Amino acid sequence: MPLSWRSWIANEGSKHFILVLWLSTNIALFWKTFVSYCSGPQHYYLHKMLGLGLCMSRASAAVLNLNCCLVLLPVCRSLLAGLRGFQKVTSRKARRILDKRKTFHMACGIAIGLFSVIHVSAHLANVYSFSAWYSDEFPALNLARHRGEDPRIIMFTTVPGATGVLLVLVLFLMFTASSYSMRVSHYDIFWYTHNLSIVFYVLLLVHVIGGVLKYQTNVEHHPPDCFRPNRTAPGGQNSGFVNSSQVDGLSKVCREEPQFQAHFPETWLWVSGPLCLYCAERLYRYMRGCRPVTVASVVRHPCRVVEVHMQKSGFRARPGQYIVLNCPHVSSFESHPFTLTTCPTERNATFGIHLRVLGDWTERFTDLLLAEPEVGAEILPVALQRRYPRVYVDGPFGSPSEDVFNYEVSVCVAGGIGVTPFASVLQALLDDWQHHKLRRLYFIWVCRELQSFRWFAELLCSLHQKLWQENRPDYLNIRLYVSKERGLQSLSEGRYQVLSARLLIGRPRWEMLFEEIGRANKQKRVGVFCSGPKGLSTTLHKMCNSNHFGATFEYNKESFS
Amino acid sequence: MGKIEWAMWANEQALASGLILLTGGIVGVAGQFRNWQFAAYGIAAGIFICLLEYPRGCKAKGNGVQRPGQYCLTVCVKAFGPLTRNYYIRALLHAALCVPGAFILCTVLGCVCLAIASIIYLLAAVRGEQWLPILPRAEPREKPGESIKEPPQNPPPRPPAEMRRKRAEDMEGAAYTNPMPVMPNEY
Repeated sequence: MPLSWRSWIANEGSKHFILVLWLSTNIALFWKTFVSYCSGPQHYYLHKMLGLGLCMSRASAAVLNLNCCLVLLPVCRSLLAGLRGFQKVTSRKARRILDKRKTFHMACGIAIGLFSVIHVSAHLANVYSFSAWYSDEFPALNLARHRGEDPRIIMFTTVPGATGVLLVLVLFLMFTASSYSMRVSHYDIFWYTHNLSIVFYVLLLVHVIGGVLKYQTNVEHHPPDCFRPNRTAPGGQNSGFVNSSQVDGLSKVCREEPQFQAHFPETWLWVSGPLCLYCAERLYRYMRGCRPVTVASVVRHPCRVVEVHMQKSGFRARPGQYIVLNCPHVSSFESHPFTLTTCPTERNATFGIHLRVLGDWTERFTDLLLAEPEVGAEILPVALQRRYPRVYVDGPFGSPSEDVFNYEVSVCVAGGIGVTPFASVLQALLDDWQHHKLRRLYFIWVCRELQSFRWFAELLCSLHQKLWQENRPDYLNIRLYVSKERGLQSLSEGRYQVLSARLLIGRPRWEMLFEEIGRANKQKRVGVFCSGPKGLSTTLHKMCNSNHFGATFEYNKESFS
Repeated sequence: MGKIEWAMWANEQALASGLILLTGGIVGVAGQFRNWQFAAYGIAAGIFICLLEYPRGCKAKGNGVQRPGQYCLTVCVKAFGPLTRNYYIRALLHAALCVPGAFILCTVLGCVCLAIASIIYLLAAVRGEQWLPILPRAEPREKPGESIKEPPQNPPPRPPAEMRRKRAEDMEGAAYTNPMPVMPNEY
């Protein structure tokens, strides 16, 4: 299908712009530092000793500074959730860039890995050069204690060397646990090793104190390679007898000995800001998550889904946000994200989640929640009340689905349990649909089994009923699809008649759906929100970039770590 | 914590260590530093470890994410049988391979990383894990039944002609039968 330039720019433009900006900053920084060390007069003597290794190591260090600074910013989740909330300050374009925070974090991480390899390799060569080209002329420049010192001793007995080795080990552990297959199968190893990043930053701050590489401070009085009348030249000539031609040829005469000083650790300036921000963020989240949460009710749904309603004082959330649950009884350190399906309102202070029982944590958690109360002969009736396990909630954190209300027309596509962000949106519309910018909502839900629709059948029917009664029948457009074709299926209850009539067997035909939506909303900006498996999101992304009657489809994807 | 398969992480670590050893070896040989022969060993050992560790094994449940293009190496590694299946042998192999790397600076980092990978492999071996190759399953072709080859010889049995004739009283019933009850349109 033909590509629509407007849609492509709306969907891909800002992403590519940020990428190009980031790449060019890295390249410019690398080049500037490389040239400064290769041909700058203040590094002349050091460069003579170390050669290319000096320039490569310093240039890659500059790039590492930048990326170690930037990598922390996308993971300050509470800060970004707050930024999203300031809708008057940040435009929709800026909020959509925030959706790509994980990709940016990964890009900076990969850059750190790559340039660490260059930096370490160059410094290995430097250590050899320090050892082999020990300078008797300028002892201040040396790192080795004598000519030909074993490079391993130099590495392990200096502060930068030892911290460098430890930094490599920490990065090694972090990187090997961060591959896609590790994140998918052993998320906890990934999470625990990634928390080693605080050790990484402490070591980094110590690593740069070393002051190993020095620059010359008195370049005006001692220009590089100037003529020194009172010293023997390296070739062994006795320069006491100075030829007049020699003096004429060399315009510079040294007035004093070169003086060397270590660079100020620039890394402190780069890294301290984001590090303080990140530490403040973690502290804030810890304090916010310390307050206990009471479980109000637990409801079992078909297809292994359990709905849990909780209450916490001072908890406020917007539709589409998610929380992170921790239950010490199940596992002290594991926490899992769940999207809120019911947000607290003025009328009802409880908030709810729907969780699908998939792994061992969710199994044990639901076993605890749904356990029958023990009945003993001597227990008083008041103790027969359910004893729910203690639960801690961290959040709420922002997600792309918060933007559903900021388009005139929105399309929400959900796959299976991915419907949870849209459930909170529908709940919010049920409370008050009139005071939003949203004028029309297309709700497309694809499930494998028919019984899954019962999770939110009540909600859908009551919202539909309310909108029909308030004379806005075109506001909500429901399409339900059952992808596993297994004979005739229908929701038999009479009260779900609305949904039965909108139920289709088989996968949705996206091309036709988008044509229909484009035809009904020509020249408008339509927000498409996808919350489901990867195959679904790839197809939708492609659809959004193509041309449908001039409507611009802006693609927003919900990402599940 | 659930069942953690340490071998998966050990495999990633061993592959990364092989690459670090290889890079260190290249730096050592290119710079022609003292005792560069150890760096040459680093290159050879690094390549060997990368080839050995590239094919990912499958998890206990039988599934696993393959690395691109790992099929040929899977077949080669599988050919060694218990030598590559057993993680005790792998742990010992990595521990032995890492020792010569400690003699020069360039390969020291690769040596330390490989030692860590060896320890994690030992942990995996103690927990009874094994390397099982990910091989494509040969799907059995569904054979159509034998009767499809021979068409039937006789027509299906039918009731006698009087019963088959259409009756005037029940026109709708004679014309067709509804599979589901028909209701007026509802929204």
